[in-house]
Amino acid sequence: MLSAHGLRKCFGDLVAVDDVSLTVARGETYGLLGPNGAGKTTTISMLCGLVTPDAGEVALEGERIHPRATAPKRRLGYVPQEIALYPDLTARENLRFFGRLQGLGRDRLRARIQQVLEVTGLTDRADDRVSQFSGGMQRRLNIGVGLLHEPELLILDEPTVGVDPQSRNAILASVDALAAEGLAVLYTTHYMEEAERLCDRIAIMESGRIVAEGSRRDLVGTIDEQGRIRLEVAGAADEVATAVAEVGGVQSAVVDQGAVVCLVDRAAVRLPAILMAVGDAGAQVTGVEVREPDLEDVFLHLTGRALRD
Amino acid sequence: MLAGALTILAKDLRLRLRDRSVVMFALVVPLGLSLLLAGILPETEDLTLTAGVVDEDGSPAAASFAEEVLPELQRQGLVDLVDLDGREAAREAMASGDLDAAWILPAGFGQAVTAGQGASLEVLVNPDRGLRAQVARAIADRYGAELDRISLAVTTAATAAGGLDEAGAQALAAEVAASEPALRLVDEPAQDRQLDLPSHVSAGMAAFFVFFTVQFGVLGLLEERQAGTLRRLLAAPLPVASIHVGKALSALVLGLVSMTVLALAAPVALGARWGPPGAVAALIVGIVLAALGLMALVGSFARTAEQAGNHQAIVAVVLGMVSGAFFPLPLDEGLLRVISWVSPHAWFLRGLQDASGAEAWTAALPSAAALVGFAVLTAVLASLRIRRSVGT
Repeated sequence: MLSAHGLRKCFGDLVAVDDVSLTVARGETYGLLGPNGAGKTTTISMLCGLVTPDAGEVALEGERIHPRATAPKRRLGYVPQEIALYPDLTARENLRFFGRLQGLGRDRLRARIQQVLEVTGLTDRADDRVSQFSGGMQRRLNIGVGLLHEPELLILDEPTVGVDPQSRNAILASVDALAAEGLAVLYTTHYMEEAERLCDRIAIMESGRIVAEGSRRDLVGTIDEQGRIRLEVAGAADEVATAVAEVGGVQSAVVDQGAVVCLVDRAAVRLPAILMAVGDAGAQVTGVEVREPDLEDVFLHLTGRALRD
Repeated sequence: MLAGALTILAKDLRLRLRDRSVVMFALVVPLGLSLLLAGILPETEDLTLTAGVVDEDGSPAAASFAEEVLPELQRQGLVDLVDLDGREAAREAMASGDLDAAWILPAGFGQAVTAGQGASLEVLVNPDRGLRAQVARAIADRYGAELDRISLAVTTAATAAGGLDEAGAQALAAEVAASEPALRLVDEPAQDRQLDLPSHVSAGMAAFFVFFTVQFGVLGLLEERQAGTLRRLLAAPLPVASIHVGKALSALVLGLVSMTVLALAAPVALGARWGPPGAVAALIVGIVLAALGLMALVGSFARTAEQAGNHQAIVAVVLGMVSGAFFPLPLDEGLLRVISWVSPHAWFLRGLQDASGAEAWTAALPSAAALVGFAVLTAVLASLRIRRSVGT
């Protein structure tokens, strides 16, 4: 349905996106996973036709998307990372404004506004100004605007940033429900759990490039023989990480939130040597966690750093 | 494209009306300041003199001033003549505030004129009526100059003829006097006219604040960018140009509404007379377009709405100051007046002056054309800059 080939975008000397290609099939939920600054939003901007790529092109069902193309944009719903609403307008006025920009006729617009208000749970607050809404309500309405014209592809740019856990769960559930209805969804996030929960396929982005792509199973499979050991230490974590990285079988060791996280071949076999290395580095182990790899580990394996760095 | 632009226009106007600051800048502040300035600036009084003449001479020369010159001035609305029974009565009327000035034609006045000697015309003025007193003196001076011309002719003729009897001198004086009106009121060229103070101040304030009113519309694009809604507008299926057109239309509507309301309110609130309606309409369109172009150009250099607002305010204030929007500039072609022609405000005021002077709306067209030219130039430059920053 959506295809992008060889996308590249530079801002001065900074290469924000470099040779990004991806496809999203009808009914598929596709995730772009990467830390802040990886180039996810710039990629989204090109996919939505907000900015012109320096190289490459984007097409939706064969129609090229660029800033001056209007027809393919009708099939696309975009939910920006920010709350892109007018605080001094009511929820209904916001929906009416964006619906008119989408070219919805009066009757259809009225019906869709009512449906979106129901889906987002804002029917009772429809005529209140958005400035009076809680953050979670604003987030829900922000997504609702993207759904108003019943797009075939919904692009959500980090929709849960700064959201409380309850609202976050509600947003994830609504995305799940939309995907179940057959809507194609492109979802960007830097939360590994969200990508794992929602996405059929995931592209891992780092420094403007897609460094891996596939289903969760495929991605984790690339480090299937490895395990992840998390060490809580009393002492200099940086020195411990350096020492642990020297131990045979250790693929990588980094400091993450004060703990040392390492990817290791056959974790159970290597653990004694790792604990000895910690002692040799003059630190004490205060806690150990050994578990199966996940997307976080894949990212660590591919980039040598943690997702939240 | 137009449907999208109109949708954006409607939304922007709704938001601006909810944000009361635009109403303050567009209507309340300019009207309030006009009232204040018109109230504190001097010489806003009606210039019709309440005056009289005391003829202590009774000669034909004195009678021509009392019976020909002054009635003509009264007919033109410059003088409101009252009967005076002598010099003392004039002083008493002045002391009681009932009289602005009195002209005294002393005994021997006519004889001095026909003898070619210096005749004196006395002017009594009320010291509390500064400008009216000056007008009374100016009338006397002008009549005195005319008498000098007649005296000179009589003296010259007498010298050439080896002397003239009284009848001959009077006949010659009458002939010279008849050759030209004793006092002429000449229409000054339009460019030398100035609007009266309430008109100037109210028009100047309206022109000054319309730049701030238009600014609200122009800032909209930057505000949309800061709020994140610009990305949503760009993702909508409408041409990028319709976003710009929508924003420009909202600035245009705000500016036109503001100027029109002020143009209608100024005569009621201040007794202002901006000139023929056609001229006022053409100049209003011109100044609003010029403000739109200039504010868009200045705003295109800013990264944030706050930064743009500051830059635009500085430009608007400087142009307002040099244009004479606050106080009428001196009529001579001094440096300040020359500098003022870079300001749209000055062209607006000049257009009003020209149209009022000529009492024809077409007299405002050169100024209106200058404003439109200013608008086109700045709008083209602004669109080139904005195109580089949006939708590419």
